[in-house]
Formats: sequence, structure tokens, C-alpha cells
Amino acid sequence: MFDIYLPIAELSMNLLVLLGMGGAVGFLSGMFGVGGGFLMTPLLIFSGIPPAVAVATEANQIVASSVSGALAQWRRGNVDIKMGTVLLIGGMIGAVFGVQLVKLLREAGQVDLIISLSYVTFLGVIGSLMLIESVRAIRRSRAGKPVPARRPGQHNWIHGLPFKMRFKRSKLYISAIPPLMIGTFVGLLAAIMGVGGGFIMVPAMIYLLRVPTSVVVGTSLFQIIFVTAMVTILHSATNQTVDVILALVLMIGGVIGAQFGARAGQNLKGEQLRALLAIMVIGVCLRMLFGLVIQPDELFSIGPALGGH
Amino acid sequence: MARLNIVLALLAFLATGFSGAVQAAKIVEKIESDISSRNIAIESNFTGSRIVVFGTIEHSRQSESEIGLYDIAVVIRGPKRTIITRRKSKVAGIWINQDAHTFANAPGFYAVMSNRPLPDIAKQKVLDEYGLGFHSLDFKPVDSGSAELLPVDLAEFREAAVRIKQKEGLYNYDPTGVVFVGRTLFRATVDLPANVPVGIYASDVYLLRKGKVLSHNRSNLTINKQGFERFVFSAAFDYPLIYGILAVIIAVTAGLLASAMTRRD
Repeated sequence: MFDIYLPIAELSMNLLVLLGMGGAVGFLSGMFGVGGGFLMTPLLIFSGIPPAVAVATEANQIVASSVSGALAQWRRGNVDIKMGTVLLIGGMIGAVFGVQLVKLLREAGQVDLIISLSYVTFLGVIGSLMLIESVRAIRRSRAGKPVPARRPGQHNWIHGLPFKMRFKRSKLYISAIPPLMIGTFVGLLAAIMGVGGGFIMVPAMIYLLRVPTSVVVGTSLFQIIFVTAMVTILHSATNQTVDVILALVLMIGGVIGAQFGARAGQNLKGEQLRALLAIMVIGVCLRMLFGLVIQPDELFSIGPALGGH
Repeated sequence: MARLNIVLALLAFLATGFSGAVQAAKIVEKIESDISSRNIAIESNFTGSRIVVFGTIEHSRQSESEIGLYDIAVVIRGPKRTIITRRKSKVAGIWINQDAHTFANAPGFYAVMSNRPLPDIAKQKVLDEYGLGFHSLDFKPVDSGSAELLPVDLAEFREAAVRIKQKEGLYNYDPTGVVFVGRTLFRATVDLPANVPVGIYASDVYLLRKGKVLSHNRSNLTINKQGFERFVFSAAFDYPLIYGILAVIIAVTAGLLASAMTRRD
């Protein structure tokens, strides 16, 4: 009845199901304050969208969600443009390499495997770390002990690196190399996994660069807009895997879902939210892992011959 | 409306069939056919389509279809593609695509229908000659240079490709798909799934008697993406850079709109 034909994915899917998926992930991302790419891309893959199309299309959707997220942060003055730009330069480099890598992997027939493996690795590590950290925090708050505040101004190995730059908004004077490297890594992930990469960038900025928590989310979102935009354009130009119709449906669902999610999230404590998110992250990781480990019903697969023309 | 047109066309064929039979008994049988629609548009609401191949046996010598003097096979072939068949093997506990064979000339769509099972109609040699049945598909193995092509292995990969295409609804064999209507008319129904590839299709109808092809008739069918779907698809492949930039502009606009709508606080 409400089936919609997706011209690039080359299949038809139920419009309400797609809107529901966009809405559900939007709800969760609004509730937890995360981008949601790491949930949406696996969900698209599980529902039969070719992984390469899922990754590129999700990058396109994240452009929309990060624009509205970054604007809200910008109004509160929570964006460090200089830091964001350094991260962004790295992100562009990572995106270029990532998209080329996807192209080579598609020709070799290994793109699905590498996407799944990346998800299993990153979601597994991040999910476990988050779960451990949030369970500790919950225990501590139950025991009545105050959550220890981080002491700013601590020096670590990063302060020994050259090419120092002054980041006024972040009140930092550090080398440009670490943000450049973090940006490159996140750009690579954006191209291969169809994620914004906030789940890597936010902890990296807090723990490695010691950027004040207030500007971390805004700066990360600022960088994500440009990197996912770059990834979208590069995937279109190189792999023709961006399905704008699918992206548009997901955007609509996502915007609506995020509104309700943000309200629902206000009633939950930070550490409880993190524990819930960690459980979901681990859930997606395990689902991906099962797909790799369990013997498939059909060992064979067919695909169009790419490259060599 | 479409149904009515088919009925009218069938009636017209019926009339010519009758007049043909009256003329002379010596004249060789000939088959005429057409497709219910020669253009199929894939639009946003496309969930597949059904086409009817119908026609008539001119100068038919049988007084009624039950006599079973003739056999008819209908083949619909989609545009040929080069495909890669891959096989997964377990490596370090996970299933990984390992062996692969490339086949040229694999039709993107292939449906064969007959009034009784193909092996009963003609010998394999005849079936192969006219491309009737999965066995006669002329998949051409392309030597990738890296792996040696073992015949046993190759057959397994070929069968797998056909099996997967069947599961996707792109390859079909219906041994009772051709139905005789009255003395000279026949019809065959083909379902095209939503994932049907675009391009020019050929519908071949073969009239057989005692294992020999008496007559053959071909009609063409075009399947194309239409309207917005066509625009999106051709933009993505013909102007990929502009398409990507537009995709970003759409997303940025959507993001701005969303933030404008929600900024009520």
C-alpha cells in the first residue's frame, strides 16, 4: 500500500516502516544526544539495503541532523571554530581515503565484511567501555560519594608535540597534530561506517585534548556536518551509492523522533542514559557478530561486476 | 482497462485464426504473439508488474486444444549483464567471500514458460539451441586470471547464480505457464518483481511440434524508470558529482528547516 521504490538501492520498501525506523533512531539520538548513525546504518543493512548504499545514504542523513544540532549549539556559543576547522581538515583527508577504500573493497567483494567488522570492533569496544564507566558511576552515586570532577590543566604526552596552536574558545594551547589525527580517523570511519563519528570524537576531545565539555558537542557537530557532506559527495561521485529518496524519508522520520526523544531524555539521569545506550550499542555489535559467525543459509552471493570497464 | 484490451486483442486474434484455417490446410503453421504492455514504467509506487504474452497459431491443424498437436514455449529475456558469483568460506571463525567466478552474458531477467515440462517437448539439444530452460543459459565464464576454472567448481557457481536469481524472482521456469485458450489461442502470464532490471527485453515465442520448432515470433518490451525515479537514477549515474552536491544541499535545507520549526523555546 505505502511501498516506495528506492531508485539507488533498487528495491521497494514500506514507507511507514522507513519513517518508523528514522523516527525510532531519531528518538534514541534525541534522548541520548548522539548522532544515531551507528544505529541507523546497521538497521538499514539488517532490513536488506545493500551495505554500501546504507553507509553512503546514512552519511547524507547525518548532514541534516548535524546541521540542526550544530545550529542549536552555535546559538549558545558552544562551537570552537578553530578547533573544528583543524578536526575538519583531518576529516576531509580521512574521507577521501575512506571512500577510495570502499571503492576498492566493493570491487574485491569484501565491502560488506569490512563494514560489519568495523561495526563489531568499534561498537564492541565503545559499548563495553561505556557500560563499565556508567555502572561504576551508578554505583558511586548510590553509595552517596560525589562524582569526582576532572582536574583541568593536567599535562599529558600531547603537550610535548610540535606545531602548537592557540584555541581560544577551548582555552587550550596544544599541538595541531592530535586534533588533525583524530579528525582523519573519524573521517575514515564516516566513509566506511556511515557514522558521524561523535562516539569517537567526543571522548577523544575530552580525554586526549582536554577540550572543555561545554564546547565538545558543538565543535564535534560542526566538524560532522562538513565531513559527512564530503563523504556524501565523494560516495556519489565514486560509488553512486547515495539514495536521496531513502535519505529524505529517514530525515523526516529522524527530525520528528528527535523531538520526542529529547523530552524523554530529560527525565533520566546521565549515567542511566549512558548505561542504556551502552547496552544498545553492545546489542547491535552482537547482532553484527552473529551475522559474521553463524553459517549463512546460502554460501553463494551474486553481484554486478564492478570496475575493469 | 488493460484487461479489456487484452480480451479485445485476443478476440481479434481469434478471428484471424479462424479465417486462416479456412484458407488452406497445406500452409505451414505460424505463430503470432504480442505482449499486454510494451512499456513498463518504474515509478515510486512500483512494486512489480504482471504482463501477459498472448498469441495465436495460424493455420492450426488441430480442431481443439485438447488434441495436443502443438507445444508452445515462451521466453522473456532481460538485458545481459556480467555478474560475479562469490562463495563464502569460514576463515578464522567468520564467513568471508573467498572464491569468485565472473560470468558474462547472464540475463538480468529470464522467464521461460511452456504448456508442459520442457524435457517432454523437445530434446536437450533443441532446447539449448533456442535457449529454453536454465540449462541452456549461455553464461560465459570470464577468466579472472587469478583462479583456475575447474569444470566441477564452475558448474556449482553457475547453479548458485541461477538459484539466487530464482530466489530474487528474476529467473523463473513455469512448465504449465502457457495455457491454450480454445483452438488456436494461447496466453502466458509473467510476474516482474520490484527489483527487475531496466532495459530492453525480448519476448520469444516458439511453436513446436514433435520436438521441432515450426515457428518463432519475437516482440520487445522496454522497462524504464520513469518520472522522479528516472530523474534520480540517471542523475546519480550520469552526473554523480552534481547529484552528490544536490544531496548535501537537500540535507542542509532539511536540517535548517527542522531547526527553524523546533526553535520555539
